Amino acid sequence: MAEGSRGGSTCGGGVGGRQNPVPSSGGCNFPEYELPEMNTRVFHVAAFGELWLGRLRGEGDLSLKEPPAPALPGGRGVADSGQEDEAVARDLGCSLEAAAELRAVCGLDKLKCLEEGEDPEVIPENTDLVTLGVRKRLLEHREETITIDRVCRQETFAYEMESHAIGKKPENPADMIEEGELILSVNILYPVIFHKHKEHKPYQTMLVLGSQKLTELRDSICCVSDLQIGGEFSNTPDQAPEHISKVRTIIEWSESHDRGYGKFQTAKMEDFTFNDLCIKLGFPYLYCHQGDCEHVVVITDIRLVHHNDCLDRTLYPLLIKKHWLWTRKCFVCKMYTARWVTNNDSFAPEDPCFFCDVCFRMLHYDSEGNKLGEFLAYPYVDPGTFS
Amino acid sequence: MGAPAGLQADCEALLSRFQEMDSVRFEDFTDLWRSMKFGTIFCGRMRNLEKNTFTKEALALAWRYFLPPYTFQIRVCALYLLYGLYNTQLCQPKQKIRVAVKDWDEILKFQQDLINAQHFDAAYIFRKLRLDRAFHFTAMPTLLSYRMKKKIQRAEVTEDFKDPNDHVMKLITSDVLEEMLNVHDHYQRMKHIISADRANPDKALSLIKDDFFDNIKSIVLEHQQWYKDRKNLSLKSKGKDGEEKSEGNSQQLERSERAESLAKIKSRAFSVFVQASKSRRHRQVKLDSSDSDSASSQRQTKATRKRKNKETLKPEGRKMSSRYRGDMQNVHKEDKSVSLSMPVITEEEEENESFSETEFTAPKRRRKHRTKSLV
Repeated sequence: MAEGSRGGSTCGGGVGGRQNPVPSSGGCNFPEYELPEMNTRVFHVAAFGELWLGRLRGEGDLSLKEPPAPALPGGRGVADSGQEDEAVARDLGCSLEAAAELRAVCGLDKLKCLEEGEDPEVIPENTDLVTLGVRKRLLEHREETITIDRVCRQETFAYEMESHAIGKKPENPADMIEEGELILSVNILYPVIFHKHKEHKPYQTMLVLGSQKLTELRDSICCVSDLQIGGEFSNTPDQAPEHISKVRTIIEWSESHDRGYGKFQTAKMEDFTFNDLCIKLGFPYLYCHQGDCEHVVVITDIRLVHHNDCLDRTLYPLLIKKHWLWTRKCFVCKMYTARWVTNNDSFAPEDPCFFCDVCFRMLHYDSEGNKLGEFLAYPYVDPGTFS
Repeated sequence: MGAPAGLQADCEALLSRFQEMDSVRFEDFTDLWRSMKFGTIFCGRMRNLEKNTFTKEALALAWRYFLPPYTFQIRVCALYLLYGLYNTQLCQPKQKIRVAVKDWDEILKFQQDLINAQHFDAAYIFRKLRLDRAFHFTAMPTLLSYRMKKKIQRAEVTEDFKDPNDHVMKLITSDVLEEMLNVHDHYQRMKHIISADRANPDKALSLIKDDFFDNIKSIVLEHQQWYKDRKNLSLKSKGKDGEEKSEGNSQQLERSERAESLAKIKSRAFSVFVQASKSRRHRQVKLDSSDSDSASSQRQTKATRKRKNKETLKPEGRKMSSRYRGDMQNVHKEDKSVSLSMPVITEEEEENESFSETEFTAPKRRRKHRTKSLV
């Protein structure tokens, strides 16, 4: 049950009216598997954060500033090395000489496997590594079959989504994320209609901050059903609204045990942040909007913010993964995305049939704008519109 | 996506070779790393997306070996492996190592153990990773996305990297042995003190075997040795130096050994029989050897001979023990090459027999003695 701490959490200790999160008394706030490798038991998000904050050093572990550059052999002054050795000797309880020796013995140069000038992308000839053997065979196979191995649009798209915001700093320092902030990774599954999606449901992944309100996530979910317009417009095609606005309704969060008897708790989304929630990781929750449009939502991960993450809070909730959907193209020109769908259409070879705006009007209406033939026409919003 | 093909094999190869080195020094690890050219595992023109996924998988795989129940040496090697993978990866910015909060305390304890044991290089490596902010501090080790997998891929723990459960050693630790020795000595001294003749305690007080402690110690040492040999044996059989043939041979040897030991067990089970009482002598079970294996029947005859040499009126317990004794001697000789069966502890009836005979003549007492000698 995704509940706010005010609503009487099942974690124990949640009293009505209290704003503060449940204190981490150990017990129920250690995330642990309920069903191994599948989902965890319920735990309080902010209390989990506290578990980490209590165990880490602010200066070193939690800082969002760039860390000092790694030591390059021979590239540092003596003074710096001396300071470092002192710190090492202090932390490990060894002598200064030992610390200096450690710096030499554990240097990164000791891990170099390639000579100077060797290309890091080329697989070395006589390798025992199984991984490389597999990879080599794949490359050789491609060469033999003259398969051109260029990156396709989908892969570029996916990589860009994953990495486009990495390391971004805000212009306004007030928008900087604070140390110790939690980042939740949320998978939102598309309402599945297609049969091909039975095995592998398409989803998008969003990163959301612990301190953000639930409404912020809701607002960022672009659902096609928000854009649907009811009504048949074959007689008055011009009245079909061009710009469609989203209709907001009261949202309910509920546990998706089974469709039918889930526990419901209506709560105002704008009153709760993600930090206030008690949730299970890996467990499907249900998000309903537009009355009957349901999305399954799974929170897959929570972690502390890292200095390499996107540090601009205005960019959150951040979309990092999206299922690539092929848009339906107009049946006539096969170029533009379909904006109209017709049924019982005397002009159309199939039912239903999709048309872009121009082809639709050209086929079904004369130059005066009079309706030709028999058909039913509905404005169509393609799910791939948001790709 | 599951772990990339071959990645686990490569990591386990590195780990087992490090295990054979019997060291925890980083220098030795880097020698091994360079000789295997492990850093090239990222080569091969992987594109960005694949590079990211592969690196994440590699770090997650190495991480598993860093946590219990793996042995200390394996865990140190896993730490070095993580350091190696993290620093030789080609991703920009670097992929991080995920740590779940439930594991962190264990890791800090490990770090403290390293410092206490003065394994400064390992401690330095961990300190460096932490300073470089190589970790992502998470709720759970992996992302949980409620994918209904057909086969739930449970991470299997490689047995060879674990300390196998040695229940005997857990029971009889060096502390226990020391205490036993103390008690034994104290007891012997007490007996001397209260006896009339200070030099020799009363015979009536001889209720336990004097050399009991030495026996237990030697048994435990034998067990330890057997254990070590077993471990070494299984390690050796994994060695890669042209052992197709020898493996085949040793497998054959194992098979025939197994067959023999099975036959042994069967024969033992069916040949020990109760000495019928006088009233039921007519129903005495006779030993009828049906074994076709000449070796085992040989052994049996040997044992029977030994039996015949003893006094006839013996409770069956003694017969059994002598049979075992006979068998054991032969087993030890034959199975020295590939011995995977546990050594059987024998009841030492033989040495004490003369002693017992003089002391306890009545059958009742004999029985009592018998039970006591099991101490």
